[in-house]
Parts: sequence; C-alpha cells; structure tokens
Amino acid sequence: MNFETKTSGISDTPEATDKASTTVERRSFLGVVIGGITSGIGAALALAIGRFTVEPALADSKTEQWADAGQLTDIPEGKPVKRAMTIVQEVGWGRFHEPGSVWVIRNGEAITVFSAVCPHLGCSVNASAKGFICPCHQSSWDGAGAKTGGPTPRNMDTLEHRIENGALLVRYQSFKQGIAEKETV
Amino acid sequence: MMRAALEEPIRGGARWSYVFGSGLAFLVALQAITGIALSVYYVPSSDHAHASVAFIQKAVPAGALLRGLHHYGASAMVVLIVVHLAQVFLFGAYKAKRELIWVTGVVMLLITLAFAFTGYLLPWDQAAYFGTKVGTSVAGEIPIIGEIQRRIMLGGSELTTLTLSRFFTAHVFLFPVALLLLIVTHIFLFRRAGAAGPFHHREDHRVESFYPRQMLKDAVFMLALFVALAALALKWPAELGPQADPASDYLARPPWYFLPLFQLLKYFPGQLSLIPTVLLPGALFAALFLLPFADRRAERHPFRRPIATGILALSLAGTVGLIALSKYEDRANKEFSARFKEQEEASRAFLKSKFEPQVIGQVLAATPGVGVAPTSFGENCAVCHGDRGEGADSAPSLIGITNKPNRTPEDLLKILNDSRTYGLKEPMPASFDLSEDEKRQIVEWLKRLK
Repeated sequence: MNFETKTSGISDTPEATDKASTTVERRSFLGVVIGGITSGIGAALALAIGRFTVEPALADSKTEQWADAGQLTDIPEGKPVKRAMTIVQEVGWGRFHEPGSVWVIRNGEAITVFSAVCPHLGCSVNASAKGFICPCHQSSWDGAGAKTGGPTPRNMDTLEHRIENGALLVRYQSFKQGIAEKETV
Repeated sequence: MMRAALEEPIRGGARWSYVFGSGLAFLVALQAITGIALSVYYVPSSDHAHASVAFIQKAVPAGALLRGLHHYGASAMVVLIVVHLAQVFLFGAYKAKRELIWVTGVVMLLITLAFAFTGYLLPWDQAAYFGTKVGTSVAGEIPIIGEIQRRIMLGGSELTTLTLSRFFTAHVFLFPVALLLLIVTHIFLFRRAGAAGPFHHREDHRVESFYPRQMLKDAVFMLALFVALAALALKWPAELGPQADPASDYLARPPWYFLPLFQLLKYFPGQLSLIPTVLLPGALFAALFLLPFADRRAERHPFRRPIATGILALSLAGTVGLIALSKYEDRANKEFSARFKEQEEASRAFLKSKFEPQVIGQVLAATPGVGVAPTSFGENCAVCHGDRGEGADSAPSLIGITNKPNRTPEDLLKILNDSRTYGLKEPMPASFDLSEDEKRQIVEWLKRLK
C-alpha cells in the first residue's frame, strides 16, 4: 500500500482542489500515522505470539533424572534383557508418567545399560543373536554395543546407572540422532 | 479493490461516530488471532482442559496477555455490537435499501452471543461448569423441542467431556465460518448501498473519501481498544477458578451479558419461565429482524421517530437495569454475598498460586476402604514407603502411624516441613516442596491408613 502516490483528490471542501499539493502532503502524513498505528498493534501481537509459541519450545526438557528399572537379581550373564520403566517427564501442562525401556546386559559384575532408541533415526532397537539390531534400517551392534553394520552413525548409546538397595536406577536421557557423536538433546 | 475501499465516499464527512463497525471488524480479527494462538496449548477434554488453560495463564510467556485479550475482547464485542446496532437504529440507517445490512447485523449479534456462551465453558473451571449447566437447562425448558435441543447441545443427558468437545467444535470451526460469511455479506451490502450518512441532510453536499480521515479515526479507535484490552488483561488477569468439581455446591452466576435473562427468570416461576426464556427473546429478535420491513417511513431523525427512539431507550435501560438489579440482589443477600466472596477468594488464590502440572498416567495401588493415596504422596513418598504406605527395605511402613508416639497428625505436618527436628535421617528428605494443601491431604490419608 503506497499512500505517497495517491493523489486522486476527493477533497474536504470544493475550494481545496486549488491547494492540491498541501492536501497530498496532509494525506500522506495521515497515511504514515495510520500505518504506524496498525503496524504497532501488529508488532505487539506478533511479539506476544512469538514468545507464546517459541519460548516454551526452546526451553530445556524437564525429564526426571533417575528412573527405576527394577531389581538386579534376574539379569542373566551376557544376554541382553529389556527392562521397562516409568519415565516421568514434565511436558507443558502435565507431568507424564510414560512407559520407557532400556537394554541391560551383564558381563560378570559389570552392568551396561543401553538406550533402546536407535542412534540412526530413532526406531526401537531389538536384541539379536549377536547383540542388537534395528529392524527399521538393519543397523547392527555387538553385545558391547559397538557398531557392526548398517547405516547407524555410532555405537549404541549407553546410559548412566547406579545400584541402590538391589535396584537398578537408570539416568534416562535422549540423544541427538544421525550424528557420529553422542550428544544429549 | 484496495483503491475502491480507500476511496469509498462518506457523505457528510468523517466522524467519530462511524468507528464502531471498523472497531468490531478489528475485534473479530483480534479474537481470531488470539484464539488461534490459545489453541496451540488448549486441550478440549474435561480431564485436561483446566490444566491446559492454567498452563497458558500461569506458565507460558505472554499467555496471560493473549488469554486476557481473548477474554476481555469477547465482552468488548458484545458491548460494541450493541452500541453499533443501537446507533444504526437511532440514526435510522437500517431504512430503505439497507434492510439486509441490518438483518445480517442482528444475526451477527446472535452469533456473538453463541460464541460467548460456548467459549465460557472451555476453561472448565467452577464458574464455567455450573454457568453452562444452568444455561443448557434453560435451553431445555422450551416446550416440545427443549429436551432434544438440550441433549444435542450437551452431547448426551449430562454436561460432560462430550459437551466440551462440541462447544469447542462450534466455537472454533462452525461459528467462525458463519461469522466470516456474514461479515463479508454485511460489508459487501454496505459498500453497495453506501454509507447512510448523517440523519439530517444539511451536510449532504460535503463528501469525503474513507482514506485518510475516516481511516485515521478508525485506526485511533482500534488502538484505543487494543491498549484498553491489553491493560485490562495485564492489570486484572482473566478469571480462572479451581477446576470444575461437579460434586461441589458452587453458586453459579452467568457472565454479565446473560444476567438480564437470569434476573427475569426470578420473576416468572414454573411454566411462566417461558416468558423470559422463549417469548421475550423471541419477540425481541423477531422485532429486530422485522424492523426495517415494518418501519418504511423515510424519516431518519431520532427526535422525529419518538416511538422507535423510546423503545430503544427503554430496552437499553431495562437491560442495564436488570444487570444492576441482579448484582444488587446478590450483594444484598448476606448468605449469597458471603458465598460469592468465598468463591472469588478461591478463584483469586488459584490464579495466584504457582502452576502445578497435572499428573498423568501415574498408577497407584489402592488400599481397600482407604482409597488411593493423594497424588502428592505418590510423587514424593510412594517411591520408598510404597503406593499403600506399606513400607519397603529403605523406609518403614506408615500403616497406623498416627497411633505411634510423636506421630500425631500435627507432628506429621511438622515432619513434612522439617524431618530432621524429629531425628529422621537420610534417605528421608529434610523437607518437601509441597503446598500446605498437599501436606494436609497426605496427613488426612495417613490418618485413615490403619
């Protein structure tokens, strides 16, 4: 909308046509005022809606750090076991208790906990005869989580864990997918 | 088209009294924009609606402002549409070739009220729930079609989550489309017929284009509206009370624009209630619809149409009077005013309290005869003491705890505030980040746990 070039003069009074240039000036000044008001309201609303929609999306996710993955007693030697747990995550208006799972493998006294989320594109990793396999794109890992084939960019993601009163507690985290480094989201 | 819009001739020149139509168009746009923004977080389900609105109001940046604009914008629309219609009525601008503009305007008044009625339920707080319950019951009193109509509105025999879903559908899908079509028709017809201009013909020779002076006046009015609504939203945040509790004895009142109807209902008991609920509104809107076809005299000056002007003055005075009377009676009634005060305080306290996310999906086992532990127990205590307070390796059983020495309900409250003064050690936390209410709930539950 260009107010400056608008000169077609429907004037305030018939006499005013003689003063065409001053009328044009006045009209374009009022046009600037009108433009200022409307863009001011628009900018205020845009700022509010921008903050409303963008800021919460950029905030850190609020996942409770340690989740209970059950008693340690029934984990066999060298064979991956899937453990279900409840992930507590604060998302918007709710604190959601949602099911999650991890892979646990025992080698002697050493326990390793793997995220069940494929580092490639996020499918659920399954156990295989030789270790682990992702059924989506055929990425595979050995029992120690080292990459053995397929499109996965890295080894399986290990999760921190500790043992308390005979129970396995896992620090549940999500990692960025599709890159060679393990980085938390 | 832009050029045609800008050069629209205004007979008699630009005036402040012509800003109301543009003001309404602005409010409709503002309601649409803020409404779309609110829908980013709002959940139209009875178990999450209140939590999602509380989240918008208390936790999301600019949420209180956007919700406030939408809340007060709704009231402003009702006021402005009445002012706009009253002015057109007073100036006789509905006459000769402008009949349909008037009729579409009256339909838009009805749609605005329908918007207000459906939007009022969406936050699912006490006022929303009980206000809508009464409102839909009123609709159910209409003979023959009443019960069917009530059920179709509610989506069943009761006010439930299905009601909320269909109010939401109407509020965000059906009514906006209907309103948009009507606005387009309204403006198209208005442009074809041209502005009616002043009711006296003294200044008919003076013709001015819409741009710039009328447009400037319209823009200044819009700015004033926007600033006023934003100031209201920030100074007095839009109301949000505690979540609807169908079992409570909440004292319901409709929003102010339905108070005249509410007040009239008091005077017409039993079968007579059809007079204020059906006959009066029916007659009023029939008269409004038929007005331009019945009144065909060319005379537009309000003082030379004493009957029309008198009717308008009486209707407006009656409406305002009924609202005032209803407010006055509530205030004069000691019992009611005490209850309202209590409810308002509960509402204010809820609005002020910190946002607490709703707990979803946590499954606690129940103790027969005692029930499920309060959510705050589940989140803070059950991990060690068990869902039913039965205890585990790391923490003792809490069953029958209030019978033990130094463990009276008062002691337990103090323990929740500072467990170390009672000699409790790790892994029992020293204190809990719980509200007084939550602590009381936990202790009440523990008292029953025998």
